[in-house]
Amino acid sequence: MAMTRGFTKALPLLMAFFAAAYSRAADPTRPATSPQILAAAEKEGKIVIYSTTDSVAAAPLLKDFGALYPKITVEYNDMNSTEIYNRFLSEAAAGGGSADLLWSSAMDLQIKLANDGNALAYQSPEAAHLPAWAVWKNEAFGTTFEPIAFVYNKRLLKPEEVPHSHAELIKLLKANPERFKGKVTSYDPERSGIGFLLITQDARTDPAFAEAAKAYGKVGVKLYPSTGAMMERILSGEHLIGFNMIGSYAIAKQRKDPSLGVVYPKDYTLVMSRIAIIPKMAKRPNAGKVFLDYLLSSRGQEIIGNKAALFSIRPDVQGETTAATLNKEMGSSLKPIPVSPSLLVYLDQSKRLEFLKQWQEALGTK
Amino acid sequence: MRGTAPWFRISVVLVTGCAVLLPLGIILYQSFLDAPFFQPSVKLSLSAFQFVLADRDFHRAFATTAVIALGMAAIAVPVGSLLAFLLVRTDLPGRNWLEPVVLIPIFLSPVVLGFGYVVSAGPVGFFSLWAKQVFGSVPWNLYSLASLTWIAGLTHIPYVYLYTSSALRALSADLEEAAAVAGAGAVRIAFTVSLPMVRPAILYSGVLVFFLGFEVFGLALILGDPGGLLVLSTYLFKLTNRLGVPSYQLMAVVAVVIVAIAFPLVYLQRRLLRASSRFVTLRGKGLSQRPLMLGRWRWAGFGLVVVWLCVTVLLPLSGVFLRSFVSSWGEGVRLAEVATLENFRQLLDYPNLVRGITNTLILAVFGGAVAVGCYALIGLALHRWQSGWARTLDYLVMVPRGMPGLVAGLAFLWVFLFVKPLAPLRNTLFSIWLAYSVVWLAYGMRLISSALLQVSPELEEAGHIMGASRGQVTRDVTLPLIRFGLLGSWLLVFMIFVREYSTGVYLLGPGTEVIGSLIVSLWSTGAIDIVAALSVVNVLLVAIGLAVALRLGVRLHG
Repeated sequence: MAMTRGFTKALPLLMAFFAAAYSRAADPTRPATSPQILAAAEKEGKIVIYSTTDSVAAAPLLKDFGALYPKITVEYNDMNSTEIYNRFLSEAAAGGGSADLLWSSAMDLQIKLANDGNALAYQSPEAAHLPAWAVWKNEAFGTTFEPIAFVYNKRLLKPEEVPHSHAELIKLLKANPERFKGKVTSYDPERSGIGFLLITQDARTDPAFAEAAKAYGKVGVKLYPSTGAMMERILSGEHLIGFNMIGSYAIAKQRKDPSLGVVYPKDYTLVMSRIAIIPKMAKRPNAGKVFLDYLLSSRGQEIIGNKAALFSIRPDVQGETTAATLNKEMGSSLKPIPVSPSLLVYLDQSKRLEFLKQWQEALGTK
Repeated sequence: MRGTAPWFRISVVLVTGCAVLLPLGIILYQSFLDAPFFQPSVKLSLSAFQFVLADRDFHRAFATTAVIALGMAAIAVPVGSLLAFLLVRTDLPGRNWLEPVVLIPIFLSPVVLGFGYVVSAGPVGFFSLWAKQVFGSVPWNLYSLASLTWIAGLTHIPYVYLYTSSALRALSADLEEAAAVAGAGAVRIAFTVSLPMVRPAILYSGVLVFFLGFEVFGLALILGDPGGLLVLSTYLFKLTNRLGVPSYQLMAVVAVVIVAIAFPLVYLQRRLLRASSRFVTLRGKGLSQRPLMLGRWRWAGFGLVVVWLCVTVLLPLSGVFLRSFVSSWGEGVRLAEVATLENFRQLLDYPNLVRGITNTLILAVFGGAVAVGCYALIGLALHRWQSGWARTLDYLVMVPRGMPGLVAGLAFLWVFLFVKPLAPLRNTLFSIWLAYSVVWLAYGMRLISSALLQVSPELEEAGHIMGASRGQVTRDVTLPLIRFGLLGSWLLVFMIFVREYSTGVYLLGPGTEVIGSLIVSLWSTGAIDIVAALSVVNVLLVAIGLAVALRLGVRLHG
């Protein structure tokens, strides 16, 4: 009797193991999650995700995940990066549940959460396929490879005017101050975390940054807190060109409206990555691990790159919007922002305010 | 009043007090700390006040906000009350179908409304391009402080309209008839009899609109951004990111400053209305209302209404509608080439769309009705009660709206997280309903309390003399008499709940999506085409709802 019961208990596990082993052999794109973790995750039955990727872009990913792991229901919350951070911290402080996976484009806030001891360390079997700069301490994982681009209005900017590097953009603005007055747009670093991150990276990467800032100031650059407003205003002709625009959004928009032009600057193109972390206090850590493995697997990356247009980060995934293609075309001019504590420098209050002050002085707005 | 059970009144005051003071208390406490209140290392400090009060951006934002709020009140109050008089008390042509149309601006999310203006009258809007062809340049600047103030003022007229019209409906006709018999024309009657008699309602709406001026966010974000205009709510938005990590103490300080402005306003209002018996207009002897003949002013009045509708409804809505049927717009675009139904097709594919719409309707229709029920309870508890409790409640009702939506949202998240008995309700529509109802308390309640103010005591006393209990008098006398106030309140709450978003932002989750949150999340990722399509669907839904309600005999007026 006792033996039979033990065997009946072990049977599903055993079957799961063989099933996993079998399907793995059959399908090399399947995430390499260990059968134990998968079984535990299926027992948890659910995963709660807080994410900045909107549900439309994430839909193909979630659909495929559901097909692969029908026993794990996904509760997907899309919100902006500040909301994720606030909600998570408050929920963590109150005890009781929060998300099982945080997936956000605010790289600095994600690293801060990890650095403050909120992230669970997990040796994802898929992480070995990522570039070294994209993984920090097995706690924070870069999941996408999104180039930062110039975006312009193809109807109103002549092909010969289109700048292909930061230097060319500055030259263009300096040569036609009247034509570009109030026609250039970008993120407002004071109101947008990602905007701040990008402009500080510019300051670090571009030797002519001071001159660039002055030129932006001269034409009265218009600063907004979100990409949506900027692209709409570029497309309508209210503005002509925008810099530091997130390439994935621009490509998605371009597929709907071909009059949007996208240029990856040749001197340097910054690359940002959506960072995923599994919170230490996650109620369903195994489900979090399964989803993370899925995000990083070639199956998940295939969808990230080719269906969601978020640019896959794995070098072994091919397609138009992938790191592989970008690397082939751009080579060393790609400057990925590393997933590392160097992102924390400007979360220091006085350094941040000082940078903003300098930026505004360079623009001539203060 | 004789024989009333004070326990009923006091318990209403206590429950309301809890609902208001809990979130507010957290914010007040947070403003005197140097870090999030739940952090173990937190210390008491005035540093947040020092930072904000010394910040030049704060001064700039405060000044701009004050100008906008004053301007809004100055525009919305006279036009709104005149509009109410024309539609309720006169024989204006088409007044029956005009009424629902007048209310459209408050259905629309201000972000969408602002965006509609950009599409139609922005620098490359279609009206602007047309004007450019005719005049050689665009003769207006949509992004100036003046435009923002005017648009904010004009789009807030429906609030004043609702308050004034429900008071005018309860105005018994004898006074106007007397004036008419004495030979006064309709215009004279409006300015010397009708409008002065509903002064409490007009005054309330003025104060509330002024206060809404401190909340203007969506419009300021869309129309203020390009010109670099900063208002308090956009300043607050800046504070969430300025220091890299959200600094709750700074946000709390801004909220505390706005709440502090509420107190003198309520005091002023109370002083102006001290002799409230002067506004009793529902007496024992009433005459049925007959519309006043406008005579030669008839078409002038109609013209005024139509012009207002063109600027506040047609102009932005045409922009939104146009945007929903094209893939691209602006300079150098031929509309015929970009026309498409793709946006609507994509909207249909949007996950959770149906649930969002259903949730919104549940929240607005039923949640709105329940909220009005609660407001009515509070109103009745305060009715003819001269006591310190009543005065306290008067102030309490006003302060929640002092918390800007962003901050109120956080405060309610904290209430539902840290007040353990409430925690299980956090992921339900109830939490959102409670947050909405508390924040909009003043707005729903004022319509009811100004209706109560109009009821003459003799009517209720008659009931008491006949031996009716207080409950019976309330049910059979008072409530039927204030039905216009209740209906107006429900209509207002319905409209506010349909488009409210920021207050619930931290409470929303899978299963509790509302249209407002869908719009904002789509907006931020740039899916503006879908936002436009969704807004069109939103307007149509509300229009159909209103038409059905009117058909089924829900009358907006008696």
